[in-house]
Amino acid sequence: MAGKEEMNHSETSTLQSFAERVYNLDEKVYKILGSGLGRVYNFDRPLAIRHIIEKMTIPEDEHIIRAEIALIGNMARTIEDHDARREVMEEYDKVIKQFHEESISYNLNVLNEDKERLNELFANNMKERFKDGSHLIICISRTFGSAGNNIGLNIADKLHINYYDSEIFKAVIKRMEAEKDQLEDEGGFEDEDPELINRRMMEKLPCSDAAAPVFEDEKRSLRSKIRKLNRYHGLPTRDALFFNTADLILDLAKKQDFVVMGRCAGHILTNNGIPHISIFINAPFETRVRRMMEVDHVDYKTAKANLRRVDTKHADYYNYYTGKKWGEFNNYDLFINSASYGIEGSADFILNMIKSSMQ
Amino acid sequence: MTIPAWLCIPFAGLLLCVAIMPLVKAELWEAKKQYFVIFWSLLTVILFTSVFSFSSAVETVLECIFNDYLTFIVLLFGLYCVSGNITFTGDLAGSPAVNVALLGIGTILSSLIGTTGSSMLMVRPVIKMNSWRDKRSHIMIFFIFLVSNIGGCLTPMGDPPLLMGFMRGVPFYWSLSLLPVLLFNMVVLLIIFYQIDKKAYRRDIAAGRKPDISKPGTELKIEGGHNVIFLITIVAAVILSGMLPSMKAFQNTDGSARGIPVFGEVVFPWASVIEVVIILISAWLSFKTTPQEIRRKNHFTWGAIEEVAILFIGIFITMQPALMLLKEVGPKLGLNYPWQMFWATGLLSSFLDNTPTYLVFLTTAGTLGFGTGIATSLGIIPVSLLTAISCGAVFMGANSYIGNAPNFMVKAMSDENGIRMPSFFGYLVWSFGILVPVFLLDTLVFFIR
Repeated sequence: MAGKEEMNHSETSTLQSFAERVYNLDEKVYKILGSGLGRVYNFDRPLAIRHIIEKMTIPEDEHIIRAEIALIGNMARTIEDHDARREVMEEYDKVIKQFHEESISYNLNVLNEDKERLNELFANNMKERFKDGSHLIICISRTFGSAGNNIGLNIADKLHINYYDSEIFKAVIKRMEAEKDQLEDEGGFEDEDPELINRRMMEKLPCSDAAAPVFEDEKRSLRSKIRKLNRYHGLPTRDALFFNTADLILDLAKKQDFVVMGRCAGHILTNNGIPHISIFINAPFETRVRRMMEVDHVDYKTAKANLRRVDTKHADYYNYYTGKKWGEFNNYDLFINSASYGIEGSADFILNMIKSSMQ
Repeated sequence: MTIPAWLCIPFAGLLLCVAIMPLVKAELWEAKKQYFVIFWSLLTVILFTSVFSFSSAVETVLECIFNDYLTFIVLLFGLYCVSGNITFTGDLAGSPAVNVALLGIGTILSSLIGTTGSSMLMVRPVIKMNSWRDKRSHIMIFFIFLVSNIGGCLTPMGDPPLLMGFMRGVPFYWSLSLLPVLLFNMVVLLIIFYQIDKKAYRRDIAAGRKPDISKPGTELKIEGGHNVIFLITIVAAVILSGMLPSMKAFQNTDGSARGIPVFGEVVFPWASVIEVVIILISAWLSFKTTPQEIRRKNHFTWGAIEEVAILFIGIFITMQPALMLLKEVGPKLGLNYPWQMFWATGLLSSFLDNTPTYLVFLTTAGTLGFGTGIATSLGIIPVSLLTAISCGAVFMGANSYIGNAPNFMVKAMSDENGIRMPSFFGYLVWSFGILVPVFLLDTLVFFIR
């Protein structure tokens, strides 16, 4: 058993070193060329390495890596400096050789025994996930009316860590030098609970900007369209907002522990190989409707319509930016029914779960 | 003497090599493709000699080199050099809307500076703006469809077949009447492109790709902008080479072109010499006046142009028997209707040089004895037939990588910049899946009356 684990570990690290080698080669070629037209692995290192390992572990996707290495070769052959080209091509040949060795040895092993081991490469347990002293980041998605915001704030309070919701939207607006009233915080929720709003005001935390969602002015002049094109780098406004939000969340993840509400934060962190805990808070529909009737002082019909509208909008946002389905249990570490435990109880339950899984 | 069809075997053999070798023996093909080209070219000469004579074979080869290939490759070389000295720096990110705009601009530009010029000028900005994305080969495929081919239909500067038509009496502004056909194709293709790109863009975002938009506001800067002068000079040289042969000073008493004698009856026409000299001087000046740093940013290499130069000399030589056969058989095909002309010209232009193909069918149309239409030196050609032949020749060059010169250039440059372009057959799947249905629509809307 120990021998098998040792072999698995050594294979994983060989694959990891192969992926790093491929990435380094691409980086080196790109630097030598000094081109401004892009490269093969034009995304972050962890993401690229993960992509290479993942493709190498699926026999039918292996050709993708072969084609990508060939593309690096195409670029490498255009290096003008003879010595540099020779050095790079030597490394390229070694990479190609290793590719064949890796793919053969890997496939044999996969066919022979433990495919499941490979799934553990990234999806390891909580203790493993945070073993390198990574920051504790808790990403909470929630349905409207499930008191997810209150639970999130409660957890942040108890852990003495920062809580981010609409603050992210504000920071992004500042970063983009955008005009707040032209944008809508699609990644956030309207604050549901007056008590929560009061509490955040007392703590000098900003209230949700989405409390009064403002849609972009549909009738824009040509001048304003050009200004918008310039401001958002030719991207649709909501995409520019999302990309900046992603950058900001990644920046924060490098510096501190925090709780973040919505904004596809879990997906963004997963894509960048940053450890986090992903939680989805829900409650039965009727319970949520009744809660919103009390919170917003509206009738049943209005509360029900609001609930459907906000949930649909959130699902659209999440599905669009992640390619996954909002609220599908596969995408989260923990699914919780807040109606069963209450706000305080849910927060405690989550904290206990985190503590016990990390011990 | 009748041209036997088996003389086309080397052409088919070379095409098969271009299509299959990169798939089965990529590294061998990459390193030794020139030997494959030499083999099939020599086989053409040998087979041609066995049917005609050695001198006739040499004459045919030299004729195609000096009258077709040389001007073709020098033009491509000039545009490649000059456009490689213009760089767009900035952080405009390739989104579906931006890409639609770029393809739209490129398509219109093709009619103004030619499909080759527009392709060379636009290809790098398109690659650069989409460098943050993973799924981008479809962008380059639609670039080939629209910018490298279809966009060239509006003026004689757009595509060589139309320049040939102009030289044979088709009025300069006549091709502007193809605007509705161009707009129809542009709109249909851009809608299809937008839908495909939107899906790919969303998949890229979901996979965690994001452009660097950390700085507020977009900075767009053009460096080496003065090279536009050289670009215009090259376009002017092409037009000039089309106009000079009709002048007395450039003709012998029997009406043939005057030029430098090469071998037998083969001459290198003065008009072509002037064109080549102007283009080479422009390229040289462009290099001399532009800092190397710009070429470095553009990832300027000789690889793409070298690949095209090697492959196309083989294609030009081995294609000669097929063109001769077409000249012989074309008029006997009994093609009288616009839709027939559109598809016959188009399908042959997909794999053969579209300029001689266009001329064969233009000549055929001129001999049909119509009483009304456009008066050309080849006879009166009805507008509907001329439209069909022009569109077929220009549009269907997009059907394969070898259908038009810029196609392969765009592929080679994409391959060099991290874009996984489809194989020869893979590209055919795209063109048959998307272009052929669009051309069927064209047939219904414009060519069946």
